[in-house]
Amino acid sequence: MKESGRNRLLGDQDTVARGLRPRGMRRTVAVVSVVAAIAVGCLALFLRLPVDDRDQAMQAIVDGIMKGGVYALVALGVVVVYKSSKVFNLAHGAILMLLAYFTWWLLAPTDLPLWTALIIVGATSVVIGLVIDRLMMRPMIGQSGLTTFILTMVLGFSVVQGIAVLLFGGDPRPMPSIFPSGRLTVGSITVQYPWLSAFIAAAAMFLVFVTYFRYTRGGLAMRAVSEDPVVSQSLGIAVKRIFAIAWVVGCLSAAAGGLLLCSMNPVHQDLGNFAIIRALPVVLLGGIESIPGAFIGALIIGVAEMLAITYIDPHVTGFSMLLPFILIVVVLIIRPHGLFGLREIRRI
Amino acid sequence: MLPGGVFNTRYDSDLAILRTRTHWVLLAVALVVVFTVPLFADDYWLGILIDMGIAIVAVLGLHILSGLCGLISIAQAAFVGVGAYTVAILTTQLGLNSWLCLPISALSAGLVGLFFGLPCFRLKGFYLVISTLAAHFVIIWCFEHFDSFTGGFRGLHLDPLSLGPIDLRSRGAFYLLTTAVVVLAAFLVKNIQRTAPGRAFVAIRDNELAAEVSGIPVFRYKMLAFFIGCLFAGVAGWLWAYFQRSVAPSHFQLIDSIWYIGMLIVGGWGTTTGVFFGAISLSFLDVLLKDYINPALVKSLPPDWAGQISVSTGLILFGGIIIAFMILEPRGLYYRWEKLKSYYRLHPYSHIPVPVKDDEEKEGEMDDSLG
Repeated sequence: MKESGRNRLLGDQDTVARGLRPRGMRRTVAVVSVVAAIAVGCLALFLRLPVDDRDQAMQAIVDGIMKGGVYALVALGVVVVYKSSKVFNLAHGAILMLLAYFTWWLLAPTDLPLWTALIIVGATSVVIGLVIDRLMMRPMIGQSGLTTFILTMVLGFSVVQGIAVLLFGGDPRPMPSIFPSGRLTVGSITVQYPWLSAFIAAAAMFLVFVTYFRYTRGGLAMRAVSEDPVVSQSLGIAVKRIFAIAWVVGCLSAAAGGLLLCSMNPVHQDLGNFAIIRALPVVLLGGIESIPGAFIGALIIGVAEMLAITYIDPHVTGFSMLLPFILIVVVLIIRPHGLFGLREIRRI
Repeated sequence: MLPGGVFNTRYDSDLAILRTRTHWVLLAVALVVVFTVPLFADDYWLGILIDMGIAIVAVLGLHILSGLCGLISIAQAAFVGVGAYTVAILTTQLGLNSWLCLPISALSAGLVGLFFGLPCFRLKGFYLVISTLAAHFVIIWCFEHFDSFTGGFRGLHLDPLSLGPIDLRSRGAFYLLTTAVVVLAAFLVKNIQRTAPGRAFVAIRDNELAAEVSGIPVFRYKMLAFFIGCLFAGVAGWLWAYFQRSVAPSHFQLIDSIWYIGMLIVGGWGTTTGVFFGAISLSFLDVLLKDYINPALVKSLPPDWAGQISVSTGLILFGGIIIAFMILEPRGLYYRWEKLKSYYRLHPYSHIPVPVKDDEEKEGEMDDSLG
């Protein structure tokens, strides 16, 4: 078709689109300028520091990015379940803790080779995901998001927590190192190998999940189900199976996240709370529906936490413990749908 | 459903809490029984009953906030803590009269609740729950880290409570005080439910946009609900402080807030009677667990598990029960109770299905009320 003819045909839509653009453009410009201003401010502050402090700051930022990668993997489990079934999974942290204890138990007292242990943990997390889906989530299909939220909250903070303590005692246990130890020094910055490997593993797994969601039929089906389960069902997508797959994927990512988190900290009974409390600001900052948002949010949270540990903790004891909650409240008040999430529209 | 032969002919009788002569007689008997318990119960059971009474006061506040207004808060234990810490700090450090501290600790918990309720201006549903979760940890962090006031992790100790010449140190006397507070609080909540703010809360819970369109200032009423709910938490905290005679950050944990929500769910979401059902059933279950189930388990399981059994069985059992109620009977024990009553009232024709719905209290299925 000729250019002019096409223009005439599309003319109407074009004006509509042009009418819509300015508001979006203005928002984008505003957001970009704010981000740019913050970035320039941080850079200026950074360049004014003396050289030693600059190294310390760089060290904190690099450590923060490493931590952020693992937080991203933890948060991913929450996002995957939310994205397909609109259930905000607060039990994720506790499941992570249970699986981390189980991994420790397989590796340390039972002394299995790493690969066997990983396979057993993977199979267990599949079973846990299926059980939760079949026994608790399927009867709740069609209930509001808040009801399932409270259900997963009770599940995570009491039932799974109790099971983990009952089976494994709840004392802190060091996870046998699965990554090579040692440290990498580039210039003045040192990175511990376990942290670096954890980051790389987390990023790789993250990429796998993103690819799955974006480029496979299963991922497409999940996105469709999250959009509208009834329509998806009528179009021939097995919605219940999708929910089950989502929970299985969520539990698998919990197992992976537990393994990687425990290459930084020992396994202990507060690990579940620790994980879910780090995952919450990540998820909220990135937007619950957005997988790339989870990664970017996690990096921001990780860096913020390390900076707080380096600079604020010496003056205010324990401030870094408080930081995630302050971030949660600030993010919720300023931008409840996160950086990349969808704004919720409510009708009567 | 009303008993046979009772009709609402005037608005007063429609609104009345107690409608029939039987109600009055039952209430009088119940009050006499409840207030004479110290005569025949030992200290162990009185302690359990006091604990239960304190939980009921806190859950009544949560009932206004979550059951009536639909704003779920999992910071109720922290607000109880605010009340307890207020009275502890004021009496030990400033030497204030402990009875004067009762309104002060209620007010301070209410004001802290107002502050942490502010996000409800923009947030709904589980976003609000997450912000109250954050509030819980922020409050507990403050308890732990402002050592000069709060005594840090060790907490504070209080002097025993006395009312003029009467020493309230004994369990019996303190039980009477707690029961009086519980009865007053229940009466207050029943009354709040049938005033204009109470109906506004229910309207906001059922449909926020519709309530706003009907001219209810939604944000103001939500803040009011937070304030009233936390006032009750403050009173519960005052009682707690004098019952335990010590306050520490570890007394007010997230899991306690979850039990409070669980009591609402088990009892029946959105009903005052349900609060009592939930609190009483879970408290007695706790006694059963601690005295019978745990010792039996310790005996039958390998000995090195003994340490973790006492910590974990409660978590598993209570969590499991709350989840089972959410899945199988979301309307809670209150609904079963109503069904039983209507069965009894219709006795020869009990097979006729009757819609069980009291006109004053809408029995709450969580999903209806929190859409």
